[in-house]
Amino acid sequence: MKPDAPILEVRGVTKRFPGGVVALDKVDIEIRAGEIHAILGENGAGKTTLMNILFGVLQPDEGEIYIHGKKVRFRSPLDAMNMGIGMVHQLRKLIPAHTVLENIILGHPKTGKILNLKKAREEVESLCKRYGFNLDLDARVWQLSAGEQQVVEIVRALYRGARILILDEPTSVLTPLEIEALLKSMKAMAKEEIATIPFVTHKLPEVFAVSDRVTILRRGKVVKKIETREATIKALAEYMVGREVLFKLDKPQVKIGDEILRVENLSAMSDKGVLALKGVSFSIREGEIFGIAGISGNGQQELAEVIAGLRKPVSGKVIFQGRDITHLSVLERMKIGIGYIPPERLGVGAIGAFSLADNILMSIYFDPEFSTKGFLNYKKIRDYAKKIVSEFEIVAPSIDTKAAHLSGGNLQRLILGRIIPRTSKLLIANSPTVGLDVAATEAVRSRLLACKKEGMGILFISEDLDEVLEVSDKIAPIYEGRFVKILPAEEARKEEVGAMMAGAIPGGS
Amino acid sequence: MVYIQIPKLKRERIVVLTGREAVSISVLSLAVAFIVFSGFLMYEGADPIEAYRNIFSFAFDQKLGLSTTLHRGFFILFATLAFIIPMRAGLWNVGMEGQFYLGTIGAFAVAYTLPTLHPGILIPLMLLAGALFGAFYGALAGFLRGKLNVNEVVTTLMLNNIAFWLVYLLTVGGPWAGIAESTSRPLPASAHAPIILNTPFTSFLVIGIAVILYIFLKYSSIGYQIRVLGNSPAAAKHIGISAPKITVLVMALGGAIAGLSGYHMWAGDPAFFMIPRPEAYKAIADLTYWGLIIGLICLLNSIAAIPLSVFIGSILVGSTVLVRRLRLPFGLDVLFLGIISLTFVAFQFFHYYRIKIKRRE
Amino acid sequence: MWPFIIRSLEVATILLLAAIGELLTQRSGVLNVGIEGLMLLGAASGFLTAMIWGLIPGYLAGLLIGALFGLLHAILSITLRVNQVVSGMGVWLFAMGFVTYWADRYSGPLPPWVTSIRVYGLSPIFFLAIITVVVIWFILSKTHLGLKIRSTGENPFAAEVSGVKVMRIRYICTITGGALAGLAGAFLSLTYLGIWSHLPTKGLGWIAFALVMFSLWRPFILLGGALLFGFVWQFAISPETIYAGIPAPLPILRMLPFIITIILLIIISSERFRRKWWLARPEALGVPYIKE
Repeated sequence: MKPDAPILEVRGVTKRFPGGVVALDKVDIEIRAGEIHAILGENGAGKTTLMNILFGVLQPDEGEIYIHGKKVRFRSPLDAMNMGIGMVHQLRKLIPAHTVLENIILGHPKTGKILNLKKAREEVESLCKRYGFNLDLDARVWQLSAGEQQVVEIVRALYRGARILILDEPTSVLTPLEIEALLKSMKAMAKEEIATIPFVTHKLPEVFAVSDRVTILRRGKVVKKIETREATIKALAEYMVGREVLFKLDKPQVKIGDEILRVENLSAMSDKGVLALKGVSFSIREGEIFGIAGISGNGQQELAEVIAGLRKPVSGKVIFQGRDITHLSVLERMKIGIGYIPPERLGVGAIGAFSLADNILMSIYFDPEFSTKGFLNYKKIRDYAKKIVSEFEIVAPSIDTKAAHLSGGNLQRLILGRIIPRTSKLLIANSPTVGLDVAATEAVRSRLLACKKEGMGILFISEDLDEVLEVSDKIAPIYEGRFVKILPAEEARKEEVGAMMAGAIPGGS
Repeated sequence: MVYIQIPKLKRERIVVLTGREAVSISVLSLAVAFIVFSGFLMYEGADPIEAYRNIFSFAFDQKLGLSTTLHRGFFILFATLAFIIPMRAGLWNVGMEGQFYLGTIGAFAVAYTLPTLHPGILIPLMLLAGALFGAFYGALAGFLRGKLNVNEVVTTLMLNNIAFWLVYLLTVGGPWAGIAESTSRPLPASAHAPIILNTPFTSFLVIGIAVILYIFLKYSSIGYQIRVLGNSPAAAKHIGISAPKITVLVMALGGAIAGLSGYHMWAGDPAFFMIPRPEAYKAIADLTYWGLIIGLICLLNSIAAIPLSVFIGSILVGSTVLVRRLRLPFGLDVLFLGIISLTFVAFQFFHYYRIKIKRRE
Repeated sequence: MWPFIIRSLEVATILLLAAIGELLTQRSGVLNVGIEGLMLLGAASGFLTAMIWGLIPGYLAGLLIGALFGLLHAILSITLRVNQVVSGMGVWLFAMGFVTYWADRYSGPLPPWVTSIRVYGLSPIFFLAIITVVVIWFILSKTHLGLKIRSTGENPFAAEVSGVKVMRIRYICTITGGALAGLAGAFLSLTYLGIWSHLPTKGLGWIAFALVMFSLWRPFILLGGALLFGFVWQFAISPETIYAGIPAPLPILRMLPFIITIILLIIISSERFRRKWWLARPEALGVPYIKE
């Protein structure tokens, strides 16, 4: 076989969805054995559709797929897997309650009718050694970090004999250290002629560091194929977005006022009963955005919930405008001007089966202004809801539309519209942009900055380090339940904060 | 060549069901239940149309079945409302049976201890005691669910069995035992329910409760909180709604309504005026399970439950005709309950999907 | 004493068969709250069949009708994705109605020629129940099929991408569970009672359902629980066989199994056990599986 012969070829693949959306439009891609071939594209560029087609979840309307020059059709993920395609999902497809080993051998024909764990263990261990993965095979998956879980998915694919590995946003949840390890393993795989195809939206530099070639998708079309060494990051980003990209957001100059929130030595348990937050102290002032950067599962969720009143702390104090509110209920906290934007939208931030008006009511149902003698004043509520819908530019036929019909960005606008006007002092925004497209993300960020202008204090939590650096006035990298350090934005360097998030730099606080 | 176009059926997920669709699904499922039941009638050698005509003409005849129809129908309405309130908060109250027993005990305890009171005082006291006893029993399950997260389906069912034996304990050879075998002593005349328009006054009480409940759930702040909790416990928590409090509240309210039916049942029908033998009071208590089915068919709308409960009552009463006049076997009425519940469950599918016919190209 | 032990082992057999089936069903992620109904159907069809053809066909009829309604629950809850509690309740209520109509006209004892086979007074079905527990334990923990079943109950999406046929596994488990509940019902009416009376299960199915929750979904804990409840149930019915002078009036004792169930439920819901319980609970239990 020629060294450059494509191992996987996608020719003229087109996919249309009901409603006339063309998700993929005559896409051609060639992957050579052992190359690292990144596919870049924004949300909505067709990446997910392409991935689903390559993995047999969706069928293309037109076009063919060739493996080793032979035409193939995948009717299910199983077909794709049997042809040597392995998939590493961003939303992990693992079973949390099972051990790593059980997850790896599940469903493989080699496993046999009666489990032989000893033999399987030897095989998996040798596989790990070969590519430099470090895994505790007896650990339960829920005990692992997001990065380790990704490794489990990779090993599972390799164990099943994958020659082509599709990685969905492989670096987005990893610490810099883990990224380095992953890139090393990818190179080790490349040596063994295993091709890896990372699909990437945000983390351009890492792609740049490791890939051999890049294919860029925009609106379902391949707009550029390029050898990585011939490209620049800025050029890649422009191809991806289709316009010049502004990497900087203008932070308004706001006078920092009095202290709103002080947290002293706060500790809390996670749902699993582990001490997840270990003695955190900080304060937020009026007009200040306090950013917490960290991989999820390091205690930021618990911190936000303790401040919002959803979780009881084990020890420590929460002081709001000089008043100890540690034991105040959620409702009381809402009444004194604390608002919490939860990371899950449908089902927590909003209720799908409720109308927009009923959703907006979630933040005012207790307000005497909107009820008389325990009965709700629907006329006032509807007027208020109409005002919110227009003010927050929620696109919907009417306020009686069910929230389930809204798009992600619109839904988040609804949630912001419900919470922000009823929040006067402190806004806790937990991953408010996660899963949103570029435009919606921008809208959310500018809302937060507007709140800052009005003098609110904001606790901003995100996994996206760039975003935290861009928006915040102070930055606290969190690792294993502790702030590594609290840095003013001017002093925060990305590499340093990234290392702190990963626990590579021990902190003093 | 002859081409036969085979339409391809495709199911489509429904995001949110409209009210009209929901109503038509419920009506359709009832209609199908009737058709299936007709099959059983035919199997038993009866003409379905003739049988239905007999059922309804008996059930709604003023001289024959009407008063019993209304009495049983409104008894079922009590149970339905007792099911609806907790279900709006996402809780399965299948403890109407037990709450009804407890309500019975409460009402009878008052009547036996204070038989000489004026009816104007005694009857409200009996109702109050029944409601309180039922509320206590409901709240017990609510407390276990709300505070300790104990599955309410299992606890309410266990409590039903316990309450059954509690009534047994009091009546069969117990302190309330009457002269006749295995029944309780009769109620004092002062405790008998006044009859208005062919039906005990408690029937109007339960209609009133249904209307109030509708308004309460739709327009009150607590009703809103109940609905939020029922739709998403997580969202409720995030906006400061106390799930334990609401849980205890709805279960207590449901229990209170089911408890009231204890008075309605035994003091509202001259055929009783006492607690009958265990098999008989168990058979009556089993009617409360209709509340579950009616509640679901009515999509938890307490106003819609009023006519449907009476309708079901008419079938229960009317189908006794099948046994007597048409000499059909006993148990057809309960069979009909079973069929309705099964067709209804099958039609639930249409709450989540609609079938689209796609022509093959 | 020995007759009492035999009787309580028989109750344990009923509970065990129904509960181990439910355990299997739940391990695959399907909740079947209708086992009381399946037992009723099994009891009725077993009884009616045995009256004509004898004991063994009676058992088989129970097994068969259980499997049939297990299949119905599977179609409703797996393919049609009806809420699993609603579906199970529907099957239960249907069973109450249908069985009353179907079997109550034959109320009374079995014909004398239908007698249960017994080894030292014990029915072979008792041993069958024990063997079933061991087999299901072995399948679940030692075989690939078991791993697939557990995976399906934990995370069907993950199982599917590993090549597990989620739908098929759930169907198999739900039908098997139904069949075992049906057999439990047939055993109840044919061997334990030997007589038909109105709705004979008297809450046993619900206790079996609760047993699965207590067992943390482990077959051997379930076995222990079933034996315990078999004893309690039988003691409540005939305490005099243990101690002639039991003073408590009978109805109070009859409450005992239900009260113990509630107490056990409270204990496993306590802070200490709750975490363990949530870890043991199949994560996808009661959630319909929707591809994509």
